[in-house]
Amino acid sequence: MTDRVIEGKNLVRRHSVLELVEHWAIALSGLLLILTGLLELPIGKRYYVTEIPWFSWSGDFYTTLTIHYIAAVVFVAASFFHVFYHGLLGEGGLLPRRGDLKESIKVIKTFFGKGDEPPFEKYLPEQRLAYMGMAFIIAMLIISGLVKTYKNLLDPQLSYAVTSAATWIHNIFFVLFIAAFIAHIAALVIKPNRPMVRGIFTGTIRLDYARGRHSLWMAALERTKTPSTDDGRGGEREEVAGTGARKDGHVLPGEKPDPGNETGSERTNDKKEEL
Amino acid sequence: MSRLTRRNFLQVSAGLAAFSGIAGTPKEAGASPGKEALATLIDCTRCDGCVDHDVPLCVAACRERALNRIPDPVDPIPPLFPRGMIEDWSKRKDVYDRLTPYTQLFIQRADVPVDGGIRTVYLPRRCMHCDNPPCATLCPFTANHKYPDGSVVIDPDLCFGGAKCRSVCPWNIPQRQSGIGIYLEIMPTLAGNGVMFKCDLCHDRLLNQQLPLCVEACPRDAMVIGLRRDIMKEAERRAAETGGYLYGLTENGGTGTIYLSPVPFEEINKVVEKGPGRPHFDKVSRRPARASLMETSVLMSPVIGMGAGLTAAMLAVRNRVKKKGEGENDD
Ligand code: SF4
Ligand code: SF4
Ligand code: SF4
Repeated sequence: MTDRVIEGKNLVRRHSVLELVEHWAIALSGLLLILTGLLELPIGKRYYVTEIPWFSWSGDFYTTLTIHYIAAVVFVAASFFHVFYHGLLGEGGLLPRRGDLKESIKVIKTFFGKGDEPPFEKYLPEQRLAYMGMAFIIAMLIISGLVKTYKNLLDPQLSYAVTSAATWIHNIFFVLFIAAFIAHIAALVIKPNRPMVRGIFTGTIRLDYARGRHSLWMAALERTKTPSTDDGRGGEREEVAGTGARKDGHVLPGEKPDPGNETGSERTNDKKEEL
Repeated sequence: MSRLTRRNFLQVSAGLAAFSGIAGTPKEAGASPGKEALATLIDCTRCDGCVDHDVPLCVAACRERALNRIPDPVDPIPPLFPRGMIEDWSKRKDVYDRLTPYTQLFIQRADVPVDGGIRTVYLPRRCMHCDNPPCATLCPFTANHKYPDGSVVIDPDLCFGGAKCRSVCPWNIPQRQSGIGIYLEIMPTLAGNGVMFKCDLCHDRLLNQQLPLCVEACPRDAMVIGLRRDIMKEAERRAAETGGYLYGLTENGGTGTIYLSPVPFEEINKVVEKGPGRPHFDKVSRRPARASLMETSVLMSPVIGMGAGLTAAMLAVRNRVKKKGEGENDD
């Protein structure tokens, strides 16, 4: 993790380059998988997809399958990388905690003008829930997809029970995956969330926005004096104006960020957030 | 020939137990119906196309079964959006010179020029029951499945009639009847278009230890069904004995249907009428290819991801420890 304040530019780094690569590898290969997955249904010819310029391949099931496989290699490898890399480093900021469901409902109500938003950590409670949901959908797609690939590759006579379970799990979670993708995009359209969008492209978001909305995260970030790893890009490390202290905002294992305030104390104590 | 039990079940050893009932031999332990892979040998040196009959006997037997099994389509058949051809064979049930939902077996005639004359070969055509049937493995709903007895069977209750199986089949075997099936219950104008039909090797009869109807009906013993390994041996033996040619051994990566012909299949392929419902005799390589680079990579991708994740995490930890050390020196 490379979270740190870049005061001079009014920015705070939220995602490392590696995390951006992971996200986009999964997102773009996922989109290609959705497209070619849909084309595995016999719809290319019937719905004129084959007649769109450059899309004549869309009616050939062997071509769409090959593209599906190529995208799957990226998708599966990136997903496994994500789980192993962040799992081993103990980075669990996106994992849901107790109370996230209740909290999410409260936050969603504020989008409709009901009540005030509570202060947030790096991720919103509904982001953590959505992450878990998406992770589960992806896991089911990968497991069932691997079984289907194995059947096509090595064992066309795989038992009917296994084959049909894999097929239907793949189909059902495919629909859920599309729904989750749409929900993910819809969440970015909601006004208070919009300043976060640049984060997934540039890795940074506006400092004033972060201080205002993600006060718990920023409090933890700015109170930590310990310099820590910064992904080897030390050159980018900035000093917080006036203090001379290096602020790359890391909480190392065993350290406890000061609770930001009453409501947040219980949750900032959860070290997972910044690990 | 004593190698043939009763009429058409190949009995080389006592391994015939699966069919002991029909074969008239006592049941043997070991094999059970539906468990052991079967194959068919279609011996075109014996088939005479039943030229003396209005409809070849094997074709008639198969059609009768199909006619009893396929329900009448709804009337009118719902139109398809935004386009798509309704394929209604219910008013042309008597077409038997090509594959249709009702004619899942037909006789292809090949007039092959041989030594200045013409040699006519009759070839009963139907699903090959491929070892690696793309029609089944690529079905989006598992409506089509290959069973351990070797038969590739479409479940008419699950099939949407999208005809993907026909597109991916190297011989475009399955045929559609619109206006019947599960698609009518869902979004009949938007998705699906009926039910696909093809030979299922009389799967239900095999499970009951009965011969496929076409095999039983043939008066000339032109078709033989038996344990796969026995049929393969028998095919090779007959080919060697008669100087004949075989088709189906390696096509599409191997099939469960072997044709024996007195003339080369390249010659047959040149003269048979080809087109919708009238399959070719081309050389066909397996699709999707076995252990293709792509599929292998898919199966390896978890390992690739895991390995990369482990390595990157180790590097990150090392970096962190190093940085922390440096940080402490700084302070
Ligand atoms: S011949 Fe065609 S329909 Fe029959 S099993 Fe092979 S791929 Fe499927
Ligand atoms: S095995 Fe059965 S379904 Fe297949 S062609 Fe023969 S009679 Fe028809
Ligand atoms: S296989 Fe037998 S029943 Fe069928 S056409 Fe040939 S001779 Fe007649």
